Amino acid sequence: MLEADGSFFDGSSAAKHKVTLRLDEARGILTFDGEALEQPEEWPLPELRLLRDQPEGGWLTFALHIEGEDETMHHEARLSCRDGAMNAALRHAAPNLTRRDIHKGTGLRVLTKISIAVVAILAMIFVILPAMATSLAYIMPREREVQFGRAVINQMHWFLAGDFETDLTCTNEAGLAALAKMQSRLTEGPDMEYDLDIKVLDHEMVNAFAAPGGQIVIVRGLLDKATSADAVAGVLAHEIGHVENRDATIGALRSAGSAGLLSMVLGDFSGGTLAVIVAEHLISTSYTREAEIRADDFALDALHEADVSSEGLATFFDYILEQEGEGPAVPAYLNTHPPSKARAGKSRAHAATQPDTSSVLSEAEWADLKSICD
Amino acid sequence: MSSPNDIQGQYRGTRGELFPLAIGVALLTLVTFGIYRFWGKTRIRKYIWSSTVGDGDAFEYTGTGLEKFLGFLVAIVALAIYLGIVQMLLFFAGLNYSFDPDTPQGMLALTGILYLNIFALVPLVFYAMYRARRYKMARTRWRGVRFGMEKGAWGFSARSIGYGLLTVLTLGALFPLANFKLEKYMADRSYFGDARFEQNGKWTALYGAAKHLFIGLAVLVGGVAIGGASQSESLMGIAGAVGYIWLMVGFVYYRVHAFRYMAANRTLGGEITFTATPTTGEVIKIYIIGTLVMGAVIAVFAAIGGALFAAMMSMAPMGNIGLVGVFAVVLYVIVLVLLGAMALVFITQPTIAHFITTFTVHNADALNDIRQRASETGVDAEGFADALDIGGAI
Ligand SMILES: [Zn+2]
Repeated sequence: MLEADGSFFDGSSAAKHKVTLRLDEARGILTFDGEALEQPEEWPLPELRLLRDQPEGGWLTFALHIEGEDETMHHEARLSCRDGAMNAALRHAAPNLTRRDIHKGTGLRVLTKISIAVVAILAMIFVILPAMATSLAYIMPREREVQFGRAVINQMHWFLAGDFETDLTCTNEAGLAALAKMQSRLTEGPDMEYDLDIKVLDHEMVNAFAAPGGQIVIVRGLLDKATSADAVAGVLAHEIGHVENRDATIGALRSAGSAGLLSMVLGDFSGGTLAVIVAEHLISTSYTREAEIRADDFALDALHEADVSSEGLATFFDYILEQEGEGPAVPAYLNTHPPSKARAGKSRAHAATQPDTSSVLSEAEWADLKSICD
Repeated sequence: MSSPNDIQGQYRGTRGELFPLAIGVALLTLVTFGIYRFWGKTRIRKYIWSSTVGDGDAFEYTGTGLEKFLGFLVAIVALAIYLGIVQMLLFFAGLNYSFDPDTPQGMLALTGILYLNIFALVPLVFYAMYRARRYKMARTRWRGVRFGMEKGAWGFSARSIGYGLLTVLTLGALFPLANFKLEKYMADRSYFGDARFEQNGKWTALYGAAKHLFIGLAVLVGGVAIGGASQSESLMGIAGAVGYIWLMVGFVYYRVHAFRYMAANRTLGGEITFTATPTTGEVIKIYIIGTLVMGAVIAVFAAIGGALFAAMMSMAPMGNIGLVGVFAVVLYVIVLVLLGAMALVFITQPTIAHFITTFTVHNADALNDIRQRASETGVDAEGFADALDIGGAI
């Protein structure tokens, strides 16, 4: 029977016991005995485990497998031996020496935890944060919202101009008068909570956006491409809808909450930054879709009360749809306002129900508006 | 000095074993999009722990990759909820400050206010540091007996912020106080089996260890200031370089000598004492050799890569630009994996080995009386540290 010296720790104290190991292959056990032990220990070979990732060529530490709470699934006792012949014989004789024991039900436990984590994070992104953002937007003092909106507009302005000095605001008097007329026709009907501040910026981009606090920007490119004053009125009414629904403020608050969350969740994996950007985009599209529908509804109501046909808005959607798929030249308006046949159809159907309508501006006023930047 | 009742630390790990392990772990981490890193870190720790030997008996790291992964999940959900709510509230509060949006200065102020968001994480970072240390202690055994650490992560976090502010307010002059008190906070809550560690000594004694930090800083600031005043660019350059190097060496000197002092004034169970004699020179030597080796390997790869790249560019028609791009990415990944593994093998492991082999435990017979401590279940491992990406190489 193969014999070797070793050290034994019984797992209940740090006392070290010098022992003699004997490999009894016939009975399938490793027994060891020493002065301090009351009786010889017997470890069944199938339950013998070698601790993982130890350096070779010296002492090796062994343990006994047990089912239990211990994170290692080993008994607390340890046996170590540096006899090369004994260690080699044990590798040969103990069948499960390097087996990796896993607690029963681990797979289910892991699946449960992953599911809970995913559900919690989705609930956070799609339910809790939007609800919180909406509540906060409604308690924000008006002058602070306007101040924030100014900052947003300025940033957009600097982005379009390329520097801090150039002022792109269009100031043609006749054009401003036409714009004011359009505004007053659209806001006569609905109860307005916000004082609007609408301006046109001189840039070829086809775009319009509503910033927090009642500030709306129309970019000149949109006036150039619009087929009628009614189309511009439709877009403007839609943006007023965003203002009244506080969508910009809610959106900013919501993304402030979800940005940190997303980079926490995704940032740790390879390609994290890209994943964060994609995810934020997907979330904001899904969230803005609702906001778009509500702004459309507001626009149709406003056009209805102003007796302006919503056919103009429908043709504008048609134009944007046509541009889609034409590569990099796609108007910027598309990014923030995903158009669809459904939205065009809804506007057209609504137009069919309007009894008598009149164009929002006269031909002369429409010409003035188109040259507001001259 | 050495008596039969002493135990001298030994380190048995080798480059030849750790390097393949590190490469394998890095590759598996790569192909699993980072998920394997919990298991990988566990395997590296198991190797380093079991290479650490006292009196012929190896340490044991009993953590598992799975519990680290699950702990990470718990932490990520907790942090996501906390961050989502707190950052939105901070953003909201930031918007409620008055600023002038029509000037670049006003916009800058707004940006600054909104960046205050990052401070939302500060208490959690210190919390996570304590939790990570506690987890590592709970999962370390020697002679069959567990180490352990009491709860106290929030207390540590509060003290860290307090001492951190004190250090900042005194321009670093009270840094040794902060360092000593925080180390003592952790040491006094640490156990081996049922025996408690105790940190004695005085924080003012750490000024001796910190002297080169202050000298380096003085040379850097003073030299640059005098050079700037007398408009001598060469004086500024020399003072800058000397001060910087002095400061770097000063950091190592501080780490080494603070470790010596803290070890010499620590006891276990009231009767076991320690001596640590690492040297600044040895640690710096390890850094220099490690950096040189890594630099040489990277240079070889850069040369091979550059040559292959040039060959491909000259032969490939324009349509194969994509292929060249793939090649560049593959080369980049190889270098990244190699660098990580080499840093572990040529810098981290030798530094650990140096600190271990210069460490002595006195009155080791008293170890025989130490009893086992209960196992710690239901820990969230070091999920917060993993989620916040703090904790370093091992
Ligand atoms: Zn919209």
